[in-house]
Amino acid sequence: MKVTKKLLRKLKRIISAEQKVQAEKYNSLKKVLKSLRIEKVRLAAELEKTSDEQEQEEIASRLKVISVQRKKGLNLLKELKKQRKKSEA
Amino acid sequence: MLRRILLPTIFLLLGYGFWQSDEFKTVTAGVAIFLFGMLSLEEGFKTFTGGTLEKILKQSTNKLWKSMTFGVFTTSIMQSSSLVSVITISFLSAGLLELSSAIGIIFGANLGTTTGAWLVAGFGLKVNLSAYAMPMLVFGVILVFQQARNLKGVGYVLTGLGFLFLGIHYMKEGFDSFGQTINLADYAMTGYAGVFAFAGIGILATVVMQSSHATLVLILAALASQQVSYENALALAIGSNVGTTITAIIGSLGSGTDGKRLAVAHLIFNVVTGLIAILGIYQLMQAVGWISSHLGIAEDNYTLQLAVFHTVFNLIGIVVMLPLLNRLVIFLEKVILDDEVEVELPRYLNKASMGMADAAVEAARKETTRLYDLAVDVITDGLSIRHDVFQSDEKIKRVVKQSSDVIDKDIDDLYERKLKALYGAIVEFVIQTRGGYAEGQLRELLNDIRQAGQHVIEAVKGVKHLRKNLIRFMQSDNDVIRKEYDKLRRLIVKVLREIDVVRTSDDPSRSVLSLDKLKLEIEEKADNISNGLEKLIRKQEIDVLMATSLMNDISYCREICWDLVEAGSLLFSSIDRDEKAAMKSIALDEHEIIEMIETADGELAG
Repeated sequence: MKVTKKLLRKLKRIISAEQKVQAEKYNSLKKVLKSLRIEKVRLAAELEKTSDEQEQEEIASRLKVISVQRKKGLNLLKELKKQRKKSEA
Repeated sequence: MLRRILLPTIFLLLGYGFWQSDEFKTVTAGVAIFLFGMLSLEEGFKTFTGGTLEKILKQSTNKLWKSMTFGVFTTSIMQSSSLVSVITISFLSAGLLELSSAIGIIFGANLGTTTGAWLVAGFGLKVNLSAYAMPMLVFGVILVFQQARNLKGVGYVLTGLGFLFLGIHYMKEGFDSFGQTINLADYAMTGYAGVFAFAGIGILATVVMQSSHATLVLILAALASQQVSYENALALAIGSNVGTTITAIIGSLGSGTDGKRLAVAHLIFNVVTGLIAILGIYQLMQAVGWISSHLGIAEDNYTLQLAVFHTVFNLIGIVVMLPLLNRLVIFLEKVILDDEVEVELPRYLNKASMGMADAAVEAARKETTRLYDLAVDVITDGLSIRHDVFQSDEKIKRVVKQSSDVIDKDIDDLYERKLKALYGAIVEFVIQTRGGYAEGQLRELLNDIRQAGQHVIEAVKGVKHLRKNLIRFMQSDNDVIRKEYDKLRRLIVKVLREIDVVRTSDDPSRSVLSLDKLKLEIEEKADNISNGLEKLIRKQEIDVLMATSLMNDISYCREICWDLVEAGSLLFSSIDRDEKAAMKSIALDEHEIIEMIETADGELAG
């Protein structure tokens, strides 16, 4: 019974164009957020290495922007996840 | 004048023909049904041009042999070299193809179109096609009424094929009945006079029907019922090959310079091929006979021999023209020059690309990118920044320092000539294209492009305002105010350079999202200059009038920078549509940037 439900859900996902679009949106956002995380780690390492004050300021500012972007993106991701669950239910 | 007379004359002739002969009615009805089938088939294939065809085209035309194979393959499937020519012109005009690749496709399409002759001669005239046509029409029409775009497309293709088959059937029937009343073969002409006369008829028939395929089927049907001699049928086929270029020429009228070059290349190829075939027709007939005997084609099977002839002479055309391809491109570029006009006109926008989803988006994007580049020139002129220094690797401070003299150019005039008409054309193109598509993502992409154009124009308008005081204070004796205006110039130059980095860099960390840092910098720098104003007034380094001007101009500068960043974000973001949308949803807007600064200020104060 459980398997049938799961199968039905899978089938529904294949058939529903809207769900497909949502899934694509979700995956793209996840991909962009991942690249931002990698960039954040890279910049943090760079910040530790550099002793130049101006450069430190520049990197810190970039890190700040990335943090805000990621926060915004993660909220959006949560929202999309909720929507997906809702439409799958 | 000719056009006005042509249509009534054709109507009169047809009317007279219908009155005189039932067979003529059947044959022309067959032609009409066949042409309607072609229209339906084209409509069906256009449904699939929302991405698939374009993607294949992009990937399969980077080498000449690939372009040619693409031409052969697509024309064989679509059975319409005209459709392939028009699509190629639209892609060429949209800048998605090089002229040489486009010519390669056209060469291939000429060969691909010969498959039609093989199919009709091999099966069409032997099998009762109407038996297949009926179910195709029934299934096709049912599918046409479906909501889903793809099903509708399949429906149009099926209906098209059904009508093609039905048309061939009627043409065959008509010619068969003709044979019982009159014998058109009595009008056969021999020798070169006959070849030229029938080639002329072939050209005329194809120009009127706008389909070499329809002419060829007509010739094959007439040949099968022995209404036309084999020799004359070959001449008609040569004529139809030349006449088919008319569709490409009509298609190129609304396109750009490259589209016109391609249409002329098509004409040259087909005329040269036609001339070779006409002059060597008797030798070719012998060669066809030899090839046919090796292929096992019966000596009296003239329809299949016509198909062999059609393929052979198009192959000869390719063999002759291929080594001359580069020279042909150079010749065309010399003869058909890029228009040098007072007012900048669109280069990539044309009606041909409006019908193809991806081509339309690409054309609009390229044109708006061009608008951006032209605007950057106007902006640097407006800010009196020397182009050579701006484009060099000099540091921004040095760029501004070395551009201390006022560049005396009429920015209003430049705006009117270089940007206004072009922007108008982009808006018109986007609105007209957008209306034709219901697809959400495509409409969104076109909206983004239109918005980018608007930001570009707003930025230039801002520069026009800023320039009034800038010129005055650049020549002022007051060093302080001059330096303050230099700060504004530096900020704009920095924005332009950063956008350029995002535009050209492959580094994923320099995506449009990195422009958010620039937005933060714009706000911080504009704030810094504003905050410094009070101090300057207090110290009496600038007077109140200067301060008021500077205050207004800081605001203009800020808006210019924001407009440029927004335009850059919309124009130079990822090619992947979903990734682009994701980046757009994360990018920080003005309020979020201001909020960030306020939070940072609050933390500092705390």
